[in-house]
Amino acid sequence: MTAVLQIVFDGLSLGSLYALGALGIALIFGVMRLVNFAHGDFIAFCVFAMLWPSINAAAIVFAGNLPFYFLIPLLLLIGATLSVLSEVLVFRRFRNANPATMMIASFALGFVIRHLLLMLFSSRPKSITLWPSLGLPVELLGARIPMLQVVTIIITLAVLAALSLFLKRTRYGLEMRAAADNFTMARMLGVRANGVILLAFAISGMLAAAIGLILATNSGTADIGMGANVMLIAFIATVIGGLGSVPGAVAAGFLIGAASVVFQATLPHDARVFRDAFVYGAVIVVLLVRPQGLFAPKSAKQRV
Amino acid sequence: MTLLAVDDITVRYGRLTALRGVTLSISEGEVLFVTGPNGAGKSTLLNAIAGVVPLASGAITLNGADLTGAPPESIARRGFSLVPEGRHVFGALTIEENLKVGAGMRADKQQIVGDLEFVYHQFPMLAERRHAAAGMLSGGQQQMLVIGRALMTAPRLMAIDEPSLGLAPKIIDQVYEILAQLQAQRKLTLLIVEQSSTRAMMTGGRMILMRGGRIVLEGKAGDLARDECLRQAYFGFGDH
Amino acid sequence: MSRRPSVMWQTIATPVLLIVVLLAIAAVTYQFGSRAFNRTVVEMFINIIVVTGLYVFVGNSGLLSFGHISFMCLGAYATAWLTIPPVMKSITLKGLPAWLLHTQLPMWVAAPISGVFAALFALIVGRIIMRLSGIAASIATFGLLGVVNNVYSNWDSVTGGQGSIVGIPPTMNAWIGWLGAAVAIAIAYLYSISRSGLALRATRDEAVAASASGIDVVRERLIAFVVSAFIIGLAGALYAHFLSIVNPGSFYLRTTFITLSMLVVGGMYSLSGAVGGVVVISALIEMFRNLEKGVSLGGLTIALPNGVQEIAIGIITIVILMYLPTGLTRNREFSWRGWPRARRLPQPVQTALKESN
Repeated sequence: MTAVLQIVFDGLSLGSLYALGALGIALIFGVMRLVNFAHGDFIAFCVFAMLWPSINAAAIVFAGNLPFYFLIPLLLLIGATLSVLSEVLVFRRFRNANPATMMIASFALGFVIRHLLLMLFSSRPKSITLWPSLGLPVELLGARIPMLQVVTIIITLAVLAALSLFLKRTRYGLEMRAAADNFTMARMLGVRANGVILLAFAISGMLAAAIGLILATNSGTADIGMGANVMLIAFIATVIGGLGSVPGAVAAGFLIGAASVVFQATLPHDARVFRDAFVYGAVIVVLLVRPQGLFAPKSAKQRV
Repeated sequence: MTLLAVDDITVRYGRLTALRGVTLSISEGEVLFVTGPNGAGKSTLLNAIAGVVPLASGAITLNGADLTGAPPESIARRGFSLVPEGRHVFGALTIEENLKVGAGMRADKQQIVGDLEFVYHQFPMLAERRHAAAGMLSGGQQQMLVIGRALMTAPRLMAIDEPSLGLAPKIIDQVYEILAQLQAQRKLTLLIVEQSSTRAMMTGGRMILMRGGRIVLEGKAGDLARDECLRQAYFGFGDH
Repeated sequence: MSRRPSVMWQTIATPVLLIVVLLAIAAVTYQFGSRAFNRTVVEMFINIIVVTGLYVFVGNSGLLSFGHISFMCLGAYATAWLTIPPVMKSITLKGLPAWLLHTQLPMWVAAPISGVFAALFALIVGRIIMRLSGIAASIATFGLLGVVNNVYSNWDSVTGGQGSIVGIPPTMNAWIGWLGAAVAIAIAYLYSISRSGLALRATRDEAVAASASGIDVVRERLIAFVVSAFIIGLAGALYAHFLSIVNPGSFYLRTTFITLSMLVVGGMYSLSGAVGGVVVISALIEMFRNLEKGVSLGGLTIALPNGVQEIAIGIITIVILMYLPTGLTRNREFSWRGWPRARRLPQPVQTALKESN
C-alpha cells in the first residue's frame, strides 16, 4: 500500500512539473500561434539569476540567500520580465510571420540565452541549497513522501485553480480566451492585442520561474540544461494534448508523468534505463491513433 | 452629420489591387448598402474601415477622428463595429461570454447589463441557452449572436458583411427586422454588404454598387434596384 | 512554334554553378591552404551536405524540422560501427552483434550504407510524424532530436554512452568533402525537379488546393523526409571520418541550431540559399573563432570572450529573420543570366481573417 502511495505521489509530482511546462507553452501558443522553444532556457535563466556569475563549481549564491518571501516573488518577477522583454524585443516583430519563422526565432532566442549563461557560468553544474528542509519526508497515510513532492503538487494545483478562475471569471481572462479562439475577431471587438499577448508572456514567464525553483530545490544544482529535460516532455505533452487546447496540454503533462513513473516501477530492473524509450513508445502509439491530439479543440480543422 | 468619411482609399494584397480610389461617406442614422458581384472589393472595403487590412493610400475618418492606420481595437473603441462575413463566433466560449467580450472596453456597468438584457430580448433563442457553447449553434443562431455581440460594443456605426449568407429566407427576414428595429430605436447607423439588391430595395436607404474595386453606381436603394442600369453595372454590360 | 525547353534544361544551371564554385574552393584549399584551413573547409563541406539535406525537406515541404541532426547522429555512429577496427570495437562496444563486431568496411562502402540506415529510420518514424499538422510535426521532430540523443547517450554497450568512441579512420580531405557536397546537391536538385518534389511544393504554398488536386500530403512529405535523412546520414558518416571520434553531444542543440541558422540565413526555400547560407555562416564562425583566440594589434592581444561566437550567430539569425525573412538569396536561385534570377512562385494572397492552425 505504501509503495502504491509513493508511486502515486511520484507520478503526481512529476506530472505537475510537466503540466506546468506544457501550460507555459500552451498559453502563448493559444494567443500567438507561437511555440516558445526558449522556454527551457527561461527556466535555466531564472535559476541562475540567483547566483553571481562565476565559473567555479561552488556557486556564489547571491539572491538565493534571500528568505523565501522575498526570493519567490523576486524570481517570479524575473521570469515575467524576461518573458515580456522577449516579446517586446523579439517576438513582436514576428507577429504575422509564418510559423516556421516564429519557431526558428524562438529557438534562436533560447540558443542565445543558453550561451549567455554558458559564458557567464561555464557548463559545470553548480551546487545550490534552497530550503533543504523540503527534502525531508513527510508521513502521509503510512508512507514517507518527500515534502518537496507534496509542495510541488500543491503549488501546481493552486496555480491551475488560480489560472482557471482568472480565465473564466475576469475580463482579461475572457479576452485572452477570445483572442486564443480568434485573434482578429477579438481585436475587432476592442480587445487590445498587445495587452493580451503581454499577459500571456508574463504568466508563462512566472511559470518558468516556478519550475526553475522546484527543479533547483529538488536537485540542489544549477545546470544550464536543467530546463531542457522538462521542456522536451512538455512539448510532447502539448502535441499529445492537442495543439491549441490549454487543458489538454495540462492533462497530457500529468498523463506522461504518470506513465513515466508507472513504467519505472513496473519494468524489470535492467530495462529501467529505457524507461524513457517506453514513454516515447507510448507517445508514438497515441499519435498513431489520434494524430490531432487527445483533447484537440473543435476548431482545429482549418476552414476553407 | 457625417459619421464616417472614406477618402480615396486604395488597398493592395501583394500585387493585387483590391480597392482603387474608393470614396464614400455615411451620415448618422443612415443605412448604406454595398452591393456588387464577387470579388468587387466589398469585404475589403469593410475590412479596411475596420483596420484589419492596411491602406496603401487614402484616409478614413470616423466621428471626426482620423483613423488611418489605426489598429482594429482602436477603431472598435471609437464606435465602429464590424460583423465580418462567415460569422466567426468564439466557438469555445458560451453565448453569454461571446456577448460580454465586446463589453470589455466599456466602463458603464449599468448600461452593459441593460444592453445584455436588450440583446436577449431581441434574440430570445440566445437567452434560452446563454450558457451553451457558441460553437454548437446553428447558422442562423450564430448570425444573431454575432450581431448581438457587435451591439454589446455600443457602436455608433455597425457594418455587417453578408448577413444573409447561408441562412434560410425566414431567418434572413428575422435578421433584417431586428436590424430595422435597431436602426429606429437606437439610431444605429448601418453599413451592410448585401448581394441581394432586392433586400436592399425592401429595406430602403442608400446603395452603392462596386465592381473591380471601384464604386460604379450610387443612389437610393429603391431607385437603383428598379433601374436597368443596376443590372448593367452589376454584370458589366456596356463596359469598354 | 518552338519546343519549350524541359525543366531540367531551364534550371540545371543552378546545381552546376554551385558544384563548380565549390570545386574551385576545394582545389584552392587543397593546393594552397594550411592544415587548419583545410579542416575548416572540410567542415564547411560537411555542413553543406547537412544543410542541403535539410533544404530537401524544409524547403520543399515548408515544415520546419528540428530533428535532422538525429540522422547525422545515426549516420555517424553507423559508420563508426562499420569502420572501426574489430579489435577496438570488441573492447569498447561489447553490446554490438557479432557480425558487426567482425566487420570492417572502407569509407566508400560504409558511408552510403550509413545514409541508408538513417533513411530507413526516417521511413519508420516519418510515418508517424508526417501525419501530424505542420506545427505539431515540427514539435515532434524536436522530440525526435531529444529521444535519439537520450538513447545514444545511455545505451553504453552499443554507443559508448556519453563518452566518445574513437578509432574511425581519418580519411577525409577537401576533395572528398567536395564530392560529398556535389552528390548532395545533385540529389537535392533531382528531387526538387521530380514529380514528388513539385507536388510537395504545391502543398507548401497552397495546402488546401493541393490536397483537393489529389496530392497525398503525407506520402510526399515522407519521401522528402527520407531523402533528406539519407543525405544527412551521409554527412554524419563523413563527419565521423573527419573527427575520427563520435559522441552524442556533437549531434544535439548547438549543431541543430547552427545548421538551421545556415539554411534560414541563406533562404529556406532555395538550394542556392542552403549552400550560400553555409558559406556565409561558416565564414562568420571562423571569424569569431579567430577573434576569440585573440588578435594582436601592435603588442596588445585583444580577444573576445569564449562563447561570443554562438551568441553572435544567434543574434544575427534573429535579425536576418526580422528584416530578410526570405534570407539573403530572397528564396531565389543562382543562375547564368542575371544573378540571382527570379524563379519563385508568387506569394499566396493573405486574406484578412485567415484562420491558421
